[in-house]
Amino acid sequence: MGRKKKKLSKPWCWYCNREFEDEKILIQHQKAKHFKCHICHKKLYTGPGLSIHCMQVHKETIDKVPNSLPHRSNIEIEIYGMEGIPSTDLKEHEKQRQGGNDSGSDDEPTPKKPKPEGLLGNAPGGAQHPGMMPPGMLPPPGMPPGMPMGHMMHMGPPFMHPGMPMMPPHMMMQGQPGPAKPLFPSAVPTSSPGGAVVGADFKPISQGSSFTGATISAPPTTNQPAGSSTPGSDKVPLIANTGASSKIIHPAEDISLEEIRARRLKYTKVTFQKQDEQIPTSSAAATNLAIAVSAAQQAAAHQAKQIDAMNHHAAMMQRFGQPVRVSAPPIGMIHGGPIMSPMRPHMIPGPPTLIGGHLVRPPPLTMPPGMIGMPPGMMYGAPMFPTGPVLMQPRFR
Amino acid sequence: MKSQTEYKLTSPPEGAISAVKFGPNTSQFLLVSSWDNSVRLYDVTANILRHKYVHDSPVLDCCFTDAVHSYSGGLDNTLKSFDFNTTTESTIGTHNNAIKCVEYCSDVNVVLSGSWDHHVKLWDPRTPMCSGSYNQGEKVFTMSVCGEKLVVGTAGRKILVWDIRNMSYTLQKRESNLKYQTRSIRCFPNKQGFVLSSIEGRVAVEYLDTNPEIQKKKYAFKCHRIKEDGTEKIYPVNAISFHPTYNTFATGGSDGYVNIWDGFNKKRLCQFHQYHTSVTSLSFSHNGEVLAIACSYFLEEDNPPKPYPEDIIHIRSVSDQETRPKYSTTNT
Repeated sequence: MGRKKKKLSKPWCWYCNREFEDEKILIQHQKAKHFKCHICHKKLYTGPGLSIHCMQVHKETIDKVPNSLPHRSNIEIEIYGMEGIPSTDLKEHEKQRQGGNDSGSDDEPTPKKPKPEGLLGNAPGGAQHPGMMPPGMLPPPGMPPGMPMGHMMHMGPPFMHPGMPMMPPHMMMQGQPGPAKPLFPSAVPTSSPGGAVVGADFKPISQGSSFTGATISAPPTTNQPAGSSTPGSDKVPLIANTGASSKIIHPAEDISLEEIRARRLKYTKVTFQKQDEQIPTSSAAATNLAIAVSAAQQAAAHQAKQIDAMNHHAAMMQRFGQPVRVSAPPIGMIHGGPIMSPMRPHMIPGPPTLIGGHLVRPPPLTMPPGMIGMPPGMMYGAPMFPTGPVLMQPRFR
Repeated sequence: MKSQTEYKLTSPPEGAISAVKFGPNTSQFLLVSSWDNSVRLYDVTANILRHKYVHDSPVLDCCFTDAVHSYSGGLDNTLKSFDFNTTTESTIGTHNNAIKCVEYCSDVNVVLSGSWDHHVKLWDPRTPMCSGSYNQGEKVFTMSVCGEKLVVGTAGRKILVWDIRNMSYTLQKRESNLKYQTRSIRCFPNKQGFVLSSIEGRVAVEYLDTNPEIQKKKYAFKCHRIKEDGTEKIYPVNAISFHPTYNTFATGGSDGYVNIWDGFNKKRLCQFHQYHTSVTSLSFSHNGEVLAIACSYFLEEDNPPKPYPEDIIHIRSVSDQETRPKYSTTNT
């Protein structure tokens, strides 16, 4: 750059290494060149500002600053004019100017920070802290008010995923809903009153933050700490309210409708035990969900299996051997349709084809091969065990 | 009766309906699990109840593995299978808490059960035994099979993606993009992603590919809300079912409505009339021509409506106009 002056360092644009006479012009340049939304052409103030704008207004993720040099495209760094430029880069720039070498391209070999695109120009050149942000990076004082600076200042996390929006990680950790709200007003839970022509239009939900993935996690509505809900825990978090003008039609506790229903069932156990009346114990056990009881049942069932069929209790047989049947005959007897094919799932690799491959399968264990073609009604009481160790049916005792 | 676009099944379950599932290759048979402890098989074309078997407690989910075998599980913690040809019932195994969902993965030929004991167990239908138990960290609320992948939605708004062929590690762990409790997850038939619904009248369309370009396409939208006297009532979206070929999907909410959506083009294709109470489960038939709609009041409100709504299964013939994307999709 022949045009540069000897001593006085001119303001320069970090994104494209261009120098300007005046910081004002630099700022104009940045707004027009680097911080302009490509969709609506709104001029934003900073890279993160642009990114937030695109996320919230257009639901677009911007991962690079437009028109920037490849290694200077980090959109997460808050730069406004000369403010916010990483000090390594400032020094580097200075050095190059002093050195008088042509800085037309000005591609310092020093790796500034890992580039989102993975252009890790890890060249030699005594770089200070490759990939590290200078600790002394100052908050840009010249920011216009109203910008979400307050929090961006702590930022400068150089290691952000490309797809990750610009929230500093430590903020995500804290998940502070308080300050986050004023900054990103539209990130506030949006079950707002005026909202929603119900369902008809697929407006992207304006809380760009919360639904753009695991990025900025909006304050979780369930204040349930992860992994803390043991099956027996009594403390149930409540469902967060949506606002005055809307109401979630759901019980207050943040557990599933099925759990609520199951719990009610426990106390009103009369309703669901029409069956199994023959077995004295099971009526009590039927609605009891306690693990112990079910284990006991299992044990009983297991035991029952082991007892010789001859010794089987009639009641046991009733329970385990004979499913409750409805008057209709087995399907196969009426319908010659696909369902008739007595296929077993394991024989077919994919979704069961119809009758196509009916004979491919070996016959069930105790069944003579000739029986395959028989109507299922015949097999109904026949001595066979279609699914392995099934309990015996009373008839062939 | 059958000539109408919609009719009710006769002899419906006597308790709330937890799941309806059409058979894998016919729209004739519908499997229905219920809080009356039963699993029923209906012949939908003839509109008769064909078979019924019972658990000791309410049944929360059921599935077909092929046309004649079903698996089911519920509050008795027990996974049962039933052979409709021989009407033989077998107990496959147990969990330590209620089994909330049962799915079948045809690609790997394995039955999967998800439970409130935080585990998903795999069962080999050939030798009815457990071939693996995998901790999900939270109660399993919903799960869906997507080719060889399994997407699990748990309490605490967590989503886990597994490869069923290699369950030794979790492929992806995500937090739901919706801010409220996950209600249902179903995968796109084209295996690109899944649809997630929450109790707060909202549905998210998500992609499995973690490439940022692909992830950009995800979005969520509000639905199943009714505005009444200046207050918006927001209902849980209980059910999702995909059209097997068009990649469009139906959602059913506690508002009693069923909507059909084109997820790729972000369009609602149609809305059916309002049903008398909450839609708890939906199932498209294998060819997408019939939709089963299960309606049961599910204790969403503190004071149940009077009279207490009946449990009804509607069988509705759906037309191409209602289910096909309006214009060609760019990415199928």
